[in-house]
Amino acid sequence: MRTFRLKNPVYIKSGFTIVGPKEGDGNFGDCFDIVLHDDLWCEKSYEKCESKLQRDAIAGAIKKAGLERNDIDIMMGGDLLNELSSTSLAARNFPCAFLGLYNACSTFGEAMIVGSMLIDGGFAKNITCSTSSHYSSAERQYRFPLELGNQRQPTAQWTVTGAGCTVLSAEAPLRENSRVYEDDIVSVDEGMQLDEKELEKYKKSIEKQKKVINIDKSNIIEDNFSREYNDYMKPLSHYAVVTGGTIGRVIDLGIDDEANMGSCMAPAAADTILTHLTESGMDPSDYDGIFTGDLGRFGKANLEYLLSREGITLPTYYMDTGASYFTPEQKTFQGGSGAGCVNTVFNSYILKRLQRGELKRILVVPTGALLNKDTPLQKETIPGIAHAFTVESREF
Amino acid sequence: MEIFLTYLKVFAVGGFVCMLGQILINKTKISSARILVLYLLIGALLEVCGAFEPLKKFAGSGVTIPIMGFGSNLAKGAMEGAAKSGMLGAISGGLSAVAAGLTVAIVCGFVFGLIARSRSKKF
Amino acid sequence: MIERKEYQDYVSQNAPKSPMLRTLVAAFLVGGIICCVGEGIGDIIKLIFKEMSEKDVATWESCVMIFLGSVLTALGLYDKLGHYAGGGSIIPITGFANSVVSPAMEYNREGVFFGICAKMFVIAGPIIVFGVTVSFLIGFISYFVV
Repeated sequence: MRTFRLKNPVYIKSGFTIVGPKEGDGNFGDCFDIVLHDDLWCEKSYEKCESKLQRDAIAGAIKKAGLERNDIDIMMGGDLLNELSSTSLAARNFPCAFLGLYNACSTFGEAMIVGSMLIDGGFAKNITCSTSSHYSSAERQYRFPLELGNQRQPTAQWTVTGAGCTVLSAEAPLRENSRVYEDDIVSVDEGMQLDEKELEKYKKSIEKQKKVINIDKSNIIEDNFSREYNDYMKPLSHYAVVTGGTIGRVIDLGIDDEANMGSCMAPAAADTILTHLTESGMDPSDYDGIFTGDLGRFGKANLEYLLSREGITLPTYYMDTGASYFTPEQKTFQGGSGAGCVNTVFNSYILKRLQRGELKRILVVPTGALLNKDTPLQKETIPGIAHAFTVESREF
Repeated sequence: MEIFLTYLKVFAVGGFVCMLGQILINKTKISSARILVLYLLIGALLEVCGAFEPLKKFAGSGVTIPIMGFGSNLAKGAMEGAAKSGMLGAISGGLSAVAAGLTVAIVCGFVFGLIARSRSKKF
Repeated sequence: MIERKEYQDYVSQNAPKSPMLRTLVAAFLVGGIICCVGEGIGDIIKLIFKEMSEKDVATWESCVMIFLGSVLTALGLYDKLGHYAGGGSIIPITGFANSVVSPAMEYNREGVFFGICAKMFVIAGPIIVFGVTVSFLIGFISYFVV
């Protein structure tokens, strides 16, 4: 039995997202909390930038939930870099217990499942689930140097630059999200141990990066509070609760093309969805929102084909967050991917629709392709994994 | 008029060579390093067969600017070295024939590596 | 669920493919233009240094082309060209320069020693290793044959 139902409600207190400029131009551009002008964000390397994205996403989510950093019992997160470097480096700024997780692009699903189980079992009260990915750092770790003049394959996906964080809690959320101001995010962390000289340097870099935050799209800036999706002034009508989920198996159908990860992940997603539907006795139409992770346009077609062979037709509102992330004009071929992909969409677009009561019960299936740079060279095939969790919205 | 014809030949042959590579890329999803190695070996092979010299006469830079020219220089240098100064020439001839290009590449790599940073792609 | 073989066949049949015509035309045009630029540089060198031998002109020509490829890479233009032209910009000697300079630019954040110097040949290494080995073999054989 891989499907579970939680006995106690596990509330989603808040979600916070930071994305890069290209993502801000994409289909979900209006829903994100921060859109950056420059995806280096005044740092010296893309890895440092990714770590900062994640740190500030966690800080923003905690603030938005109306909590203090000390209120968080456990932080859980992961990313795509070697040995979870950006998550671990982000976690050193918080005085909380930390669990690092890795399931490639489905890390967010893993974090949500483990986090809600911990809260349900009474082992923790507040948990943050965060993941991040960065196009440039992923590109150089998994593929080629950025400036190399090669062509991307038509089946390739674009690693999303972005980080998001969800705060899970055993307490019901407030009707109004706390406002997050620029200073709450871009600030010197108490946990950082810096000497005088470095502190000065750090403060200067903060001054510089405050100018970088995109004024047009940031809802941290007062003028933007009236944007349709980012309305902080209006009290929320609904709150979101994690109700259960299905833990995925590693499925390998022998695809060895690292430029075609959607096809590696689609069988795993199909398996998880099938298992979830049989074990929970639900029908796809019982959900008014089904979201898979980052299968991409071709992977989405594969998943629909695989499920149709089993006699299951996904409803028309089924959405793949990777395939829908970018507009076709942005030339990402199959769409977005990466640990930040499903996370940033869930914490912005999906969560806001849940909180406005537009979605009642949804199934989120983050998917991941399990490989590193060496396994395809050693002629290994690429297995996939997918986790599913269900979220319901309830009225206040 | 003659110069126009020369350039036309260079353009056509150079373009054709690159187009063959593109067909390989489209069909086999081969990576760029493998393509370069493949063309280098083809160049060396053509030089050994003696087919490179007439090609060079015909198309000039159309065959020497593609990496085949690099391969043919390596092969030619080694053969000339072997004929001129025996075994030692056979060993050192190849690299000394391409030493200029290699040195420029390495020095450029070092200098631009120091001063330039890679940027994120926008497309 | 589905047989491995069946799924692999399904994927390879249905996977989106590169648009053949557009990529081939782009590769042909850009490759031809780069070769013409090389020829032009050779002609200019010949005009300036009239007594230079044919071989030296060719060497200078490829040195200048490598330099140009490096400069375009450092300016961040070569990857855009490569995205458009594919083989047209990989196969000329400028593509070789690009494959040396781009890792150096990418890994300079790890420092000069273990970044730039150690990682410079991540892409171009096989080219040099294959080239040198083959040239040695050719020299070795020709020493005994000729």
